[in-house]
Amino acid sequence: MTEDAQLAAISVENVSKSFRVERRSLPVLDDVTFAVPEHGVSAVLGPNGSGKSTLLRLISGLLEPDSGRITIDDQPVSDADQRVGLVFQEPRLLPWRTALDNVAFPLELAGMGAAERRERARSLLELVGVAAFADARPHQLSGGMRQRVAIARALARDPQILLLDEPFSALDALTRERFNAELLDLWQRTGTTILLVTHSLAEAVFLADEVVVLSKSPGRVVARVPVPLGRPRTQQMLESQAFARTASVLRAHLAGTPAELAAEEARAAPVRDVLETAGAPAFFDPFRGAS
Amino acid sequence: MRFAALLSGVLVAVVLVGGCSSAPTPTPAPTATPLTKLTVGLGYIPSVQFAQFYRAQQQGYYRAAGLDVTFQNEIDPNLITLVGQGAVDVGVADGTSVIPAVGQGVPIKYAATIYAQFPDIVIAAANGPIKTAADLKGRSLGIPGEYGSSWIMLQALLASANLTASDLDIRDYPDFGQAVALQQGQVDSATGFRNNEPLQLAQQGFATTQLTIDQITPLPGPGLIVGTATLASKRDALTAFVTATLRAMDEIAANPQLGLDDTIAQVPDLGSNKDSQLAVLQATIPMWSSPYTQLHGSGAIDQDAWTKSLDFMRGLAGSNIPASLTADQLVTEELLP
Amino acid sequence: MSDNRHAWRSTLLSVGFAALLFVVAWKLIVVIANYPPFILPAPEVVAQRFVSAWADGTIAPHALATIQEIVIGFVVGAGLAVVVGYLLARSALAERLLSPYLVAAQATPILALAPLLVLWLGTGLAPKVVICALIVFFPVAVSTMVGIRSVDRRLLELGRSMRASRWQVFRFLELPAAMPQILGGMRVGATLAVIGAIVGEWAGADKGLGVLINLARGSLFDFPLMYATLLTIALIAIVLYLLVLLAERVLVGSWR
Repeated sequence: MTEDAQLAAISVENVSKSFRVERRSLPVLDDVTFAVPEHGVSAVLGPNGSGKSTLLRLISGLLEPDSGRITIDDQPVSDADQRVGLVFQEPRLLPWRTALDNVAFPLELAGMGAAERRERARSLLELVGVAAFADARPHQLSGGMRQRVAIARALARDPQILLLDEPFSALDALTRERFNAELLDLWQRTGTTILLVTHSLAEAVFLADEVVVLSKSPGRVVARVPVPLGRPRTQQMLESQAFARTASVLRAHLAGTPAELAAEEARAAPVRDVLETAGAPAFFDPFRGAS
Repeated sequence: MRFAALLSGVLVAVVLVGGCSSAPTPTPAPTATPLTKLTVGLGYIPSVQFAQFYRAQQQGYYRAAGLDVTFQNEIDPNLITLVGQGAVDVGVADGTSVIPAVGQGVPIKYAATIYAQFPDIVIAAANGPIKTAADLKGRSLGIPGEYGSSWIMLQALLASANLTASDLDIRDYPDFGQAVALQQGQVDSATGFRNNEPLQLAQQGFATTQLTIDQITPLPGPGLIVGTATLASKRDALTAFVTATLRAMDEIAANPQLGLDDTIAQVPDLGSNKDSQLAVLQATIPMWSSPYTQLHGSGAIDQDAWTKSLDFMRGLAGSNIPASLTADQLVTEELLP
Repeated sequence: MSDNRHAWRSTLLSVGFAALLFVVAWKLIVVIANYPPFILPAPEVVAQRFVSAWADGTIAPHALATIQEIVIGFVVGAGLAVVVGYLLARSALAERLLSPYLVAAQATPILALAPLLVLWLGTGLAPKVVICALIVFFPVAVSTMVGIRSVDRRLLELGRSMRASRWQVFRFLELPAAMPQILGGMRVGATLAVIGAIVGEWAGADKGLGVLINLARGSLFDFPLMYATLLTIALIAIVLYLLVLLAERVLVGSWR
């Protein structure tokens, strides 16, 4: 741990967290320890209920650990730490703003002037490859494009750390593969440290330098598996022996009984974005005819 | 002894049975004509001011004339359209409403004068500075609203002193509290009815000066209105109705107590304060007659006065009374005895 | 773009057709039942009176007075309602304390309150504004409360992750997210405001379309004018409703 801590961008030490549910204490994370080196990419892999999302919220400062400590660059994490950029499972774009204004949103909250923040937002949209859709509204964009905008937004304040919570799980498999590659590309260009939570073995191995495997609830670190693949990662590596071997190591760490695995899948809820739950005019609108 | 008891019992039974068979419920004679139904619209609320109608009903004058009369309470504007439609056969309505109504094509006619004196007046504190219409200049006046017979009366009153409404400070009292406002000193003057507000205020020790338009413009007071179609189809019944009503009116004028008793018999709710009701009736009765009716009989219609009123109302600001309207289109005396 | 214009044209056609049907039915009723003009004037008589009453300035000052009451009353009522609705959404305590009064105020018929308000506030603009504001208040407050409460938690978490202040959360997240519901409540409020203004005038006023109805009916016995006034009132209500719809289209329509 100590040699990690010296180079660590993120350092998680003996972190435990419980939630109070109807007067009972539900432990979610138990004595989790790992570190992510500066400019590294780490993946957190685990079944549902292993506390992965909670872990990300602890690292970003949205939650406080019950015990243990989390530091970024040796500085303890503060409430809603702005050194962290957060990408959620759903894009969570504001439906009433254009893509550009969505990316500019955190800058607007921080008090940046309109022209300046629009310019910065535009360059971020270019970075993620959707500059042409700057004036489109979220409902006009595909799921993949929306997630790109969300990533651009997470990068708006130039964070040291980028936390991604199963960011591509709502996308189809082909798009997902492409996005994995693009994420690495982005990583090369921005130099952020990346911690990604994922369900997908292949994704974890493809992206990360190290995969932290969590057990099911309460989440404990089962293993920290290094990924022996060189950089830059290529599609061919997906077929390599090293890849397969790492994957089976991970699989072994994750293994539960088939019944447990089936129960996991059953519990996985479909991803519904803010956009689908956003309100709509309820009654007949003569401007539109039948609604 | 037992025989006597039995005999007297039989006698009593015979008398009772005999009495029953000659009871007031008439066995319909084969030649009796059915009663003509008449709906009569009185003001918006039952009042001792309609004593003549209640008396004629209670004393059976209508029935004796072959009429089956039912009363309805309606506000003036509604009554005019109902009578025009024929939904109500005869009603008591403001003469000043008849003029614009007929002008706009409502098919009614004024058939008998009930209030020979115009009831709307202006009142002011008796010990105050207002004694004549001219004294109203620059003063405040309370009125329910700038519409209706009181508004027309006010304009006539002011015109007699070469004033208009803009020379006064007019305050609206849509809840009809203008007399109370006068008493409390909120306004210098107020509109009211001859037989109402001055009485009420006097009962509370507040004496009033009353400004009337009797000598100024002979505006027509409330009277009986009939639809022109009803006039044609129920002429005889209506004539009988008017006769019976005028008879009751004359009887009450001679003996007001009769009117009070029949009113309470018809509308028991009004029996809760007999003294004040009697006072109202006694103040109302003088309004039923004027020099004209004394000369020409109760209910007579002064067509000359109507023509003058027509001209006056036509000349008011915002009036929509057509130039071609004449008094004979407004009134008829065919129902009068 | 052509999609919108097509929708526009078909809406205009269907509204026009419905209006035509209404007028034809009206005329048929008048002719068949042989109603005299003082009971139900024919549509062309009312139309003619409508035009002449506007042309000679009979309706205009009254319409202006009523519109003034409606607009001020609506703005005051809806404005207060959004604030109170927000408070109710954010504070369970506030909701528990205030709800009984809100419901009681809503349940008391405006027709009964109106004369009291005129007694207290006179026959000027004030009581009408209060009545309009009262009648608009409840639907807008409730819809605001519901709207704010149903803002997606995930958006609020997003705001937290960006360190948005309370005011920023309200302005940038809660208010826009609740806008569809708030505007829905305002649709209802808009039509109610018109009722409030007329009821307020009937309780005591010297100008306004409610006053004009009474004048036409009870002083002038000008029944075509009465119907023309009713028509004016209906048109004002429709315009107000459409304005809210327009606001909805501008503020919310762009979402989907």
